[in-house]
Amino acid sequence: MASTVIGAGITIEGEITTEEDIAIAGTVRGKLSAKEVVTIEPGATVEADVQGGSLVIGGALTGNVTAGDRVDLQAGARVVGNVKAARVTIADGAQFKGNVDMDL
Amino acid sequence: MADNTTVIGKATRVRGRLTGKADVDVQGFIEGEITVSGDVTVDSSGIVDASVRGRRLLIRGAVRGDLLGEESVTLADGARVVGDIRAPRVAIALGALARGSVETVEDRAMSPASARVQSVARPATSAGHRGAPATAGPSRAVAPALVDRSTPKTQASVSASASVATATASADGTPVHAGPRRPPPPVVPSLKKAKAQILKKRER
Amino acid sequence: MAQARTTNRGSDTRIGGAARIRGRIHGEGDLVVEGHVEGGVTLRGDLVIAEGASVSSEVVEANAVTIAGTLEGDVISSGAVRLSASARVRGNIRGTAVVIDDGARFSGRLDCEFDLPPELGGVSRSETRGRVSTRR
Repeated sequence: MASTVIGAGITIEGEITTEEDIAIAGTVRGKLSAKEVVTIEPGATVEADVQGGSLVIGGALTGNVTAGDRVDLQAGARVVGNVKAARVTIADGAQFKGNVDMDL
Repeated sequence: MADNTTVIGKATRVRGRLTGKADVDVQGFIEGEITVSGDVTVDSSGIVDASVRGRRLLIRGAVRGDLLGEESVTLADGARVVGDIRAPRVAIALGALARGSVETVEDRAMSPASARVQSVARPATSAGHRGAPATAGPSRAVAPALVDRSTPKTQASVSASASVATATASADGTPVHAGPRRPPPPVVPSLKKAKAQILKKRER
Repeated sequence: MAQARTTNRGSDTRIGGAARIRGRIHGEGDLVVEGHVEGGVTLRGDLVIAEGASVSSEVVEANAVTIAGTLEGDVISSGAVRLSASARVRGNIRGTAVVIDDGARFSGRLDCEFDLPPELGGVSRSETRGRVSTRR
């Protein structure tokens, strides 16, 4: 289980930074920066620029994404924004609108 | 509590100031002020309309007044307190209810010596408290001539009756009277000279 | 930390020790803060500020509130507020009950609703001693 978990009923408006990983089932608006894995669960809403070690996206994300390692869009993902990562996978069913930059 | 305990019994009503070097156990009613160097307990039957100052305060009853503990203030189940609470350690148990400011302070500004200094500087009625001190000047509260009492219970009996009594009980045995009478001069050796001067002045 | 839960487990939130949030947190569900939060918290759920955690906010609103860490700001609780021995709180607290464990450091006002016995004024919530009556 992630060291920081934002539950389904919770909204955070502002800046989140963590040295570890974070899982979001609720709503985040603002800015998010994690050193390790960022998991956006199905049903979650993230309206923020996200920086992470790696990202697993199963919910809605509007914002630019920067990952040191990989970004995986799962079937339920709805992403609007640019993605910059070493590796990117987009599963069947995921929706994505933006640029992908794998040039590091 | 030690044998040197002043007990205000359940059927007792005190209106006045209670000061000295003793422990106090309030089971009845007191309106005024309690300033002692010992521990103060307000039992579940106790009703205190006074500020209370002592070493360790244990409250199980109702208090309208400030609580100043030199060591600690503890509100136990059943306590009902309206007033400010100040002590290095403050504990409030489940079932106790309080309204007022709370400060857990670590300074020694509440040692009995300085407390008396403060009460001298203050007017006879301490701030926020509407007790009836029934005394003359504030210098009486100083009472540096503390004498250890041997029969504390008799003091409570001075005002022990079902009816309201106006008395100023001094827990250390020094009777203090209301009215314009001048308080006895202090018995501090270094003030012997001053005492002589005071007596001289009186004779003039 | 045994306390009555007022919401479902499903929407629990934990701000881990390595996390820092600057902004507003609001919503439904219980919240455990182990890291650092700077900003308002408005919760329809229980709030726990763990030992080592810190929250600094104008107001923190929640159901039951348990504080073992540091809090700067006022607490408005619809339930009980508890400061454990490691708590360091600066702010005013309002709740149905406030429990302060020995060792807690607290500086602020307590505001619990209750009546003193009639000998001490009875309904002591009002500052004005008398009641205004316009009867003739």
